[in-house]
Amino acid sequence: MVSPAIALAFIPLLLTVLIRCRFYFVLFYRAVLVRIWRDCVTGLSREERAYQYVLTHATPGDPDSILEAFDVWCSKVEFISTIGPKKGKVLDRMLMEQSPLTVLELGSHCGYTTVRIARSLPLGARLYSVEMDQRNAAIAEKIIRLAGFDDDTVELIVNPSDEVIPRLRSEYGLERLDFVFMDHWKKCYLPDLQMLEGTGLLGKGSMIVADNVLFPGAPKFLRYIRKCGLYEWKVHRATLEYSRGIRDGMAELVFQGIK
Amino acid sequence: MTRDSLITSENDVDIGLEFEGLEDEVDTFQEEHERERHRGKRRDGERAKKKKRGNGERRKRASNAGQEEEKLQARREKKGRRKRSSSDQQAEGREGDEAEQPTTKSSKAAKTRKNVKNEKTRKVEKEEKEDEADDEERNAKRKKKHGSNNKEENVEDGNKHTVKEKAGEVKKKKHKKVVETSSEKETSEEEDSEEEDSEEKEVRPETLTPEELETLKEAVDERKKLIQGLRGKPWAMKKKLVTLRESQEFVEKYEGALGKGKGRKLYAYKVMMTKKWMKFKRDFENFKTACIPWEMKIKEIESHFGSSVASYFIFLRWMYGINMILFCLTFGLVMVPEALMGRPYGTIPRKTVPRAEAPSAMDFAVLWDFGGYAQYSVLFYGYYNNQRAIGWLKFRMPLSYFLVGVGTVAYSYMVVIRTMARNANESGVGDDNSFNFSWKMFTSWDYLIGNPETADNKFASITTIFKEAILEEQESRKDDNIHLTRFLRVLANFLVLCCLAGSGYLIYFVVRRSQKFALDGLENHTWWERNEVNMVMSLLGMFCPMLFDVISALENYHPRVALQWQLGRIFALFLGNLYTFIIALMDEINLKREEEKIVKFNITTWEASLYNISASENSTAPPVTIQPADVPRGPCWETMVGQEFVRLMISDTMTTYITLLIGDFLRAVLVRFLNYCWCWDLEAGFPSYSEFDVSGNVLGLIFNQGMIWMGAFYAPCLPALNLLRLHVSMYLQCWAVMCCNVPQERVFKASGSNNFYMAMLLVILFLSTLPAIYTIVTIPPSFDCGPFSGKKHMFDVIQETLESDFPAWISKVFSSASNPGLVLPFILLMVLAIYYLQSTSKSYKEANVDLKKKLQTQNEENKKKNKLAALKAQMDLEEARKATSPSAEHQKNNNASPDQEDEEEDRGRGQRMYHSQNGRSPPPPRHDGYLPATRAPVPRNYHHGNQGSAGYLPGFPRESEARMHRVSSLQRH
Repeated sequence: MVSPAIALAFIPLLLTVLIRCRFYFVLFYRAVLVRIWRDCVTGLSREERAYQYVLTHATPGDPDSILEAFDVWCSKVEFISTIGPKKGKVLDRMLMEQSPLTVLELGSHCGYTTVRIARSLPLGARLYSVEMDQRNAAIAEKIIRLAGFDDDTVELIVNPSDEVIPRLRSEYGLERLDFVFMDHWKKCYLPDLQMLEGTGLLGKGSMIVADNVLFPGAPKFLRYIRKCGLYEWKVHRATLEYSRGIRDGMAELVFQGIK
Repeated sequence: MTRDSLITSENDVDIGLEFEGLEDEVDTFQEEHERERHRGKRRDGERAKKKKRGNGERRKRASNAGQEEEKLQARREKKGRRKRSSSDQQAEGREGDEAEQPTTKSSKAAKTRKNVKNEKTRKVEKEEKEDEADDEERNAKRKKKHGSNNKEENVEDGNKHTVKEKAGEVKKKKHKKVVETSSEKETSEEEDSEEEDSEEKEVRPETLTPEELETLKEAVDERKKLIQGLRGKPWAMKKKLVTLRESQEFVEKYEGALGKGKGRKLYAYKVMMTKKWMKFKRDFENFKTACIPWEMKIKEIESHFGSSVASYFIFLRWMYGINMILFCLTFGLVMVPEALMGRPYGTIPRKTVPRAEAPSAMDFAVLWDFGGYAQYSVLFYGYYNNQRAIGWLKFRMPLSYFLVGVGTVAYSYMVVIRTMARNANESGVGDDNSFNFSWKMFTSWDYLIGNPETADNKFASITTIFKEAILEEQESRKDDNIHLTRFLRVLANFLVLCCLAGSGYLIYFVVRRSQKFALDGLENHTWWERNEVNMVMSLLGMFCPMLFDVISALENYHPRVALQWQLGRIFALFLGNLYTFIIALMDEINLKREEEKIVKFNITTWEASLYNISASENSTAPPVTIQPADVPRGPCWETMVGQEFVRLMISDTMTTYITLLIGDFLRAVLVRFLNYCWCWDLEAGFPSYSEFDVSGNVLGLIFNQGMIWMGAFYAPCLPALNLLRLHVSMYLQCWAVMCCNVPQERVFKASGSNNFYMAMLLVILFLSTLPAIYTIVTIPPSFDCGPFSGKKHMFDVIQETLESDFPAWISKVFSSASNPGLVLPFILLMVLAIYYLQSTSKSYKEANVDLKKKLQTQNEENKKKNKLAALKAQMDLEEARKATSPSAEHQKNNNASPDQEDEEEDRGRGQRMYHSQNGRSPPPPRHDGYLPATRAPVPRNYHHGNQGSAGYLPGFPRESEARMHRVSSLQRH
């Protein structure tokens, strides 16, 4: 039997681990425990709750107020993985610099990022947003319409990304993508990127932005872009949305083509 | 050190080139001709450059050289042209070779006589020239005159004297000859000589007139000087390289050409030997490096992880060296004599395993705890006999034991203090924080890094350092919520104190419990309970620093300060643990002594009963022989202390290695291979690979050493075990670092912390010798074990030796010397001396600071003066220009330029204000477009060039020196 004194000697380790990983524990609590509890209590899905909050707290037709309501809900009430205000600003800046005409968003979830992108697009630009989940897509549709973006600006495609991408050229008549934003399943980053390369929609100067490359993390994706040499890339280091202590990054890739 | 090697290599190349040049000269004429043409072109270019340089004396000389080169060039070309025409007459020329030589000589003599001015020197030189070996000699002389430090000079210097003597002998004869032959005509000899020259390179110097030779030599020397001073020139790298190559070619060509005949061969031979000697020296250096243990390993680590990690390994190696000596002392003077010459095992009770323990004495578990046969062996204090002299050598075992114990401690003190003093000397020069940004700017880079990843990290860390420094500067001006920060810091310290107290109490508790177990008998308890003390100590030592690290995040200190706090806290923790351990041990010693008393009493009764039995049996037969294993014996607290320390060290070592294997290796393996199938990036994200924890490792090493110092007196095997441990950990840690650690994110230079470690080592040394000395002095040794058994104090052995082994007067001297009347004044004197030395050193330091200031102000003044001079020169020039060319455009230009100049000066001043503490001027701004219009910036350049070459600025040289020293101080261990 292990003596109690030896067990006591492990207390500092326990404390250290607790303090070190406090952000992860908080995240776990907010993103998992609270969600399960609320799901049981309200009988609604998380996205629906968020939509209710936004509907009651934001001004319809004003994207800024909708985004703000979202931020408040995500930081104060519950946790939803969107891009968040800080990384969102980086994204806004990139969009301003690039001013793309054709934008593809993979994984719109409940529309936060879609609104964010759509709001900083130039006139006449078109955003294709791909969402796999039916219910989420419904919410996203509502939110987008609430923010005042019509079908000409934002087109929501409800399908898995790996089915949509090969058909982009044929069905949606796209010639070139200026800007791609990835925020869906982290494991799909790499296959989708390769698929995009395969379709030839990426031209020289097309920008691809991938969120959450460090914290849930897409190591294969990073390894690939490091090696393949097709891109000029950098990782914007930041923290995870609505959380201070967890490091995360957003990868910015500029397609250079084969030299 | 690096610079040294660089210099040698350069010289090496130099000489190599020269040598090649010599060989080249035997080449065909065509080639020679072509080369000459090339050189001519290049020389023209260079001359232009030299004009640009505009550098006082140097410039004059250069132009001199240039002129003379021109002359030479002209001659060469003539020669070249003539060569073809003369190629038909080659045969004739060769025939006439011998005949013509005297004539050339005579012609030259005639010329010299015309030169009335410096006739004497010329004569001497000419006569020398006729000597065969004179050429090198003069070179050497010349070089010496010019103060050039070329390496060959050293070689040639030796020959110089002998040759000179010879020259002196021949002098008179030659002189006469000259006078005789001087009357001949001097019409066609020049052409002839030139023909000769083109055909036979070796005789070429003959063709030159002495003046030309002079100038040629001067030019060569000039070039040599140029090559040497090139490093300090404020030129672009490209220009430097070109100039260097040209100058080297020039030198190699003409220097060799100045010799002739046999002298040339000798010269070539010498050069070859110099080259070989150089190569040998370099090889020898390499060999020496290869002889330093683990040098290559450490260098490799240094290139990957920066100097801070390498400094740990250098420290480890230094420790290894010290332990080697300690080991030699204890092993050679205590263990081996006892094992060889002492009584063998089993002869007396203290050298025998007691009957009760005998069955389990060879069990691994017992041996692993250093009981059983290990306890009753030379490894521990108790085994040694109190016999005064052992063996045929009459080796004084107890005395040796005592002296070795004292000697190891004394030696350690000496080494540590000496190293500290040396380090303090070196680091004491560049200390001040006043040049914060300049220091960071110019000294941040670690030039030993050879790994791209580390270089990236270093780059990032420098960037962050700058960011932090700027933030710090900003923060020093504003204070935001100082109360909160203070509160947090107090809170952090409180938490740390709680943690320390808790760990101390836990250890105390555990030790007391283990005593209880020991009283009950260890066999009744599990392995966990038996090893509780060591386990708890190791675990606390491992985990508490982590907690401190987390707590220190509260404090929001600068990383460097935070590191020091962290070190201090870990130090306190280790020290607290160690001392708790010692206090508990003291308790145990007291217990053992009580037990000893009882045993002693029992033994007397036992002996009495034995005696009684034997008496009652009334047998005249041999006195009862009792097996030594059966004799009852005391608990022998010394051996117990020794055992405790050995166990502690072993468990400490085990913990270190296991942490290494689990924390580093296993983690690295998991991170590496789980990363293929994990939902987040393990390598870049949370667990990542571990970094090498320099401070923790150094502290571990230091405390380990403290344990050795404490326990070595009671367990002579401890240094040997430690040596083994250090040896293994050298390889293991080298491997672990290279295989599973990543370079630190905060790569910092180790230089500053080096003496900090040494200071900690000294403190630990003091604190660890304290209890050892206390036990030695106050507690009487056990009555039946160890070399001092039967004495009242352990140090009585000295007195005993003095009384019995030395003549009477020595003991008298000693006893009178130990009289307080003598000792007190001596101590007083010592204190006074220390005080005096300290005050003088303080005053020296102040003087140093004053001198530094003085140098700075002087430098400022010089700069001002130079600037003024430059301005004045510029004004003069402009005025002259105005006078000569009064065109409107020029005037405009001129009017504009002073304004510009003023502006420039203002800017310069501003910059200087900014860098004012730095003590070096900002490089004067260059106006390349502005240069051709007016020649104003020339003096400015001159000023700058002067600065570069003279190096009187206090800032930069000092800095570089400090760096060099620091690096060397690392290697000193």
